[in-house]
Amino acid sequence: MSNTVISVKNLKKYYRVHQKDPGLIGSINSFLNRKYKDVKAVDGISFQIEEGELIGFIGPNGAGKTTTLKVLSGLLYPNGGETQVLGLEPFKRQKQFQINISLIMGQKNQLWWDLPPMDSFILNKEIYEIGKQEFKDTIEKLSRMLEVGDILATPVRKLSLGQRMKCELIAALLHSPKVLFLDEPTIGLDVVAQQNMRDFLKEYNRQFQATIILTSHYMGDVEKLCKRVVIINEGKIIYDGSLEKIINKYAPYKMIKVDFKENIDLKKIEEFGRAERYSGNHVEFRVAKDEISKKTAKLLSEFEVADITIEDPAIEEIIRQIFEQ
Amino acid sequence: MSKYWEIFRITWQQFLIYRVNFVIWRLRTIMQLLLVYFIWWSVFKSQVQVFGYTASSILTYILAASLIRTIVLSSRASDLIDSINTGSIVNFLIKPLGFIRYFLTRDAADKLFNIGFFIVEISLLILLLKPPVIIQTDIAILIPFFLSIAGGLIIYFCINFIIGLTAFWVESSWGVLFLMSVFLESLGGGLFPLDILPKNLFSALMLTPFPYLIYFPAKLYLGGMNYSEMLNGFVVIAIWILVLILLMRIIRDAGFRHFSAVGN
Ligand SMILES: Nc1ncnc2c1ncn2[C@@H]1O[C@H](COP(=O)(O)OP(=O)(O)OP(=O)(O)O)[C@@H](O)[C@H]1O
Ligand SMILES: [Mg+2]
Repeated sequence: MSNTVISVKNLKKYYRVHQKDPGLIGSINSFLNRKYKDVKAVDGISFQIEEGELIGFIGPNGAGKTTTLKVLSGLLYPNGGETQVLGLEPFKRQKQFQINISLIMGQKNQLWWDLPPMDSFILNKEIYEIGKQEFKDTIEKLSRMLEVGDILATPVRKLSLGQRMKCELIAALLHSPKVLFLDEPTIGLDVVAQQNMRDFLKEYNRQFQATIILTSHYMGDVEKLCKRVVIINEGKIIYDGSLEKIINKYAPYKMIKVDFKENIDLKKIEEFGRAERYSGNHVEFRVAKDEISKKTAKLLSEFEVADITIEDPAIEEIIRQIFEQ
Repeated sequence: MSKYWEIFRITWQQFLIYRVNFVIWRLRTIMQLLLVYFIWWSVFKSQVQVFGYTASSILTYILAASLIRTIVLSSRASDLIDSINTGSIVNFLIKPLGFIRYFLTRDAADKLFNIGFFIVEISLLILLLKPPVIIQTDIAILIPFFLSIAGGLIIYFCINFIIGLTAFWVESSWGVLFLMSVFLESLGGGLFPLDILPKNLFSALMLTPFPYLIYFPAKLYLGGMNYSEMLNGFVVIAIWILVLILLMRIIRDAGFRHFSAVGN
């Protein structure tokens, strides 16, 4: 039994930006004669998301990811198409819609800068009309999951970026939203904090059957969290489906990494495939999937091998290939 | 309702954090009051009556005007502009929170805080300077006086809010806001009673919303305004309030549609 939570049909969002040449002359010209250009940030995209899905939204800078999330969360008025979230039209910003969604942007904050996070939480408690007990339980649970117990009384401006992001997350989740829009939630975090954040999101998604759309430039986030990805470029969707499939489609090969016991001449191993990296006794090949076993066997029998590993190609690599097409 | 109370509380907390800013702001207000006060005081050293005002009535006017200014003028439009320009307005738009009500609450918290201080300050001033002020006790005057202040407050809030909303379209709202505050202060009657202006100019001015911010309530306080003048004033106030509220809502909705949520 599935339940469509987000449905987008032919969504368009154009920005009108005014053009100006650099320098003073440019300023004067543009003052006298304003020129506008329409930026097609989102140009006719469609997709559907079912309850409990965790979707990765990926694409290069300026692709239209943030814009899409802003439209879905009711901040921007679309220029065309139909958008429904939980059966409601986001831009109408009905209470029923607002109390069920949350938007987190890695570079924006809702916490009051000069007050401790707890004050912002209490304000949200009132805004979303959360009961006393529920509030207490949720804070307790979230701060345990995120390990932030002791910083809730420190003014936000004195927190580190990672601590602040965790508090932002708590503030955004206090009202237990059913739908979560996350725009680069791990930006600027260190490896450990990134990992924590991923684990947390995964757990949150599982526990609450929350529907989540996540954008990120860290493919680690996407790989770890999302079964399904939507790839967007220049305002258009160029792929929507499982991560696995796209890897198979664009990268029907694996990487074989070999350490030979002695330095080796590249010419001798040319027949195994294109060497992507080579340094004396270490070589990395790209090998088609169906030839992996045959070629490894041959390698092992013909050369003195110290170590060998077979890996999927880096997902960054694949995504780059797709964008470049 | 309690959400707005919580916003109120947070606003006060911020005042306490930025104590120094607040003290400087209060100093500025007192200096301004003293300045206008002493200018008029020196005028009356050599004359008994100026433009039909006695020393005691003009000084009362100035002090009443400063009370009214504290209640009517302080406003949060700069916050609004800021939040549009930086995109932090997103934080309200995403939540079940009345947008205008949010700013109204911030405004009210701001004002109550300032009024508290003002009352202490003005009491000290009156004790120290012993100006010949008129203490109004007639309830038939005090009621319309406070009513007109409420009217002025709403008018000022709307005008300011509308200017703030222009930040959805233009980048120069700050300038407009500044210009407007100078405008409102002088045309509103904060510096001198407006009826010392030439008659035609004065009558024309009375059709605009400005005199109802400071001049009209201060004049009411002095007493001696006849009923038809009073009634006229309240009718103009009511009309402006209606027009401005309507305008404010229309502009707000248009602004939301135009909004491009900068950032990220
Ligand atoms: N407020 C705005 N006004 C005008 N144009 C905008 C605005 N916001 C975004 N754009 C333009 O719209 C396009 C899409 O921007 P968007 O922010 O959605 O990209 P993105 O996919 O989130 O990129 P990134 O990965 O860099 O965050 C870009 O060309 C951008 O220049
Ligand atoms: Mg973005």
